[in-house]
Amino acid sequence: MISSRSVIALFKDVDSAADALDAVRAGGFESDEYEILTGTPYPEGAFGEDEPKHGLYRYPLVGAACGFIMGLIITAGTQLAYPLVTGGKPILSVPPMSVIMYEGTMLGSIIFTVIGVIIESRLPRVFMGAYDTRVTEGYIGITVTTSEEKISKAEEILKKTKPEDLKRGWEQKDFD
Amino acid sequence: MSDHHNNQPLGFYADNPEWTTPESINEELVARHEAKSKYFKPILLALGVGVILGVIGLILRLVDGVSDTSKWGYTAAVLAFLLTTASAAPMVAIAPRIAKGHWRRIISRPAEMWSAAGLISLLLFIPMLWVLPSLEDGRRSLWFYHPGEVFAYSPHLWMTLSLVGLVILGFALLWISALPDFALLRDRAEAGSKERKRYTWLARNWTGATGDWIWQKHRLGIVGALYFLMLITVHFLFSVDFLMTLVPAWIDALYPATHAVHALQAGAATMIITMFILRRFCGYKEIGHDQFWGLGKLMFALSLMWFWFWMSSFMVYWYGKRPNEQQVLELFVKGPYLPLFYANFILVFVVPLFTMIWNFLRRSIWGPTLISVSVLIGIFFDRIRVYVAAYSVSDQSAEFHGIKTIPPTVYPDVADVFIVIGAITAPILVYMLISRVVPIINIWEQKELLLYKLHKKYHRATVMVLGKPE
Repeated sequence: MISSRSVIALFKDVDSAADALDAVRAGGFESDEYEILTGTPYPEGAFGEDEPKHGLYRYPLVGAACGFIMGLIITAGTQLAYPLVTGGKPILSVPPMSVIMYEGTMLGSIIFTVIGVIIESRLPRVFMGAYDTRVTEGYIGITVTTSEEKISKAEEILKKTKPEDLKRGWEQKDFD
Repeated sequence: MSDHHNNQPLGFYADNPEWTTPESINEELVARHEAKSKYFKPILLALGVGVILGVIGLILRLVDGVSDTSKWGYTAAVLAFLLTTASAAPMVAIAPRIAKGHWRRIISRPAEMWSAAGLISLLLFIPMLWVLPSLEDGRRSLWFYHPGEVFAYSPHLWMTLSLVGLVILGFALLWISALPDFALLRDRAEAGSKERKRYTWLARNWTGATGDWIWQKHRLGIVGALYFLMLITVHFLFSVDFLMTLVPAWIDALYPATHAVHALQAGAATMIITMFILRRFCGYKEIGHDQFWGLGKLMFALSLMWFWFWMSSFMVYWYGKRPNEQQVLELFVKGPYLPLFYANFILVFVVPLFTMIWNFLRRSIWGPTLISVSVLIGIFFDRIRVYVAAYSVSDQSAEFHGIKTIPPTVYPDVADVFIVIGAITAPILVYMLISRVVPIINIWEQKELLLYKLHKKYHRATVMVLGKPE
């Protein structure tokens, strides 16, 4: 059984929150163990946090490749299945085929992008984790969600950064 | 960028000089959201009466049956009017957000809230599915049809799917945009209260984590872009399948795009009037010259485009001069609906052109508002002119590619008047009801603006400095 525990520290200003985050990182916590909670969308990197990783760019690329291949199969396949010579042009005439292949490429990339956004959005969020209602009132929350053994260390580190408040949050007990 | 008024206070603040901290923004905007005007209920009641009249009108119309399309012209016209105005208004939030125009922050939520009106369009569209004949009548259409082998209801199917898609995207856009504000209202509500339950459900565990904000931004961009694509698709399909194919010889590749451009123009006009009402009667004085000026310029450009689109189509028929082309002109322009055409031309093009060229009018509050009223009335006449005329054409036969006889003007009866009243009051009613749940000003976008907007002295002038984080 793996237990997770979380702690939240609240700060009034950005610099204190950024310093606390530095301390948490220096304490050996990984980026998937801490989070910054704000009531306002601060510019990325304002707290010195790592740039969130996502693989969204892969989806349009894969979609475009699939769409292109589909376009190629549809145009080449139908023309080979029903070989009608039109205007003396070759059976597989690239200029008219390219129109459908282009449309297929675009359609594939759009559909895959939408699917990618849904997957990458982590919908829906099942648990709230550590939270405090003062976050929406302008406070900045730093949460650390980690194993039972490391939570006291996280609490110690955050306490040293002199937050406005520090409290335990959500606890998860799941089976692995 | 120089401010319009040199006496503006200096420092960081959002769209109101008193909004200098997230707390002050929360306090004021939540208080405004929770405040109830004494006029709210009477207005709601009056709109409710309008909606009841609309329902009565629709029942009266349904009693007449759906086989005579000429009786449904006004219903189709007012449905097209809703798609052109209310459904297009969210574009005022979508386009400047993608273009990172900060002036839209104070009006983005009022614009997004119009997407809820799509629900009324969807309800009004249901009877139109029975009114529009199947492709078995032999009329020319975009869709494949072959008796016994290929489905005869492609226009009905695709239009339904696209309209349902538009409504879903509209609600998704509004919900995604309002998520942080729902979280704020959730956190402020008393534990165990009805409001707490409602906003907990709506906020879906929003915590304001960095990931939440990043994905909200991405979702807003993508859903907004899809809403735009779907809006164009809806206008394309509705104008082709529920209008053009009913008139033999009305073959105009440009008209679906014209229909969509009308929507952008009318959407801007709808928002200008909404802004005026919010400013004048609801106390949102922060909606000011920047917003009226920004949208006024857009509406001016779209009014010029109106003429370009109209002229491009008109010239083809005018110079073509084949008998069936002349019949199309006779039906829509020179014949029984000539007064409506003149009214449309003057209100949608001439009035905006000769008024909006003046800076003092374009940069005022009253100027763009009055011109928007003119545009909306003009668009309403335009929709009546084309839809009522098209639905009065009885001969859909493909054997003769033209109109055998030009039908006379169809005047509205009591049922039509009721339907029009109901269709116009219902979206406003929905809008007002939604405003009780969704804060009418985007609170989180105001708090975000606080991070980026600074007013400072530049020699003897006061200038606004805007940070661009990306």
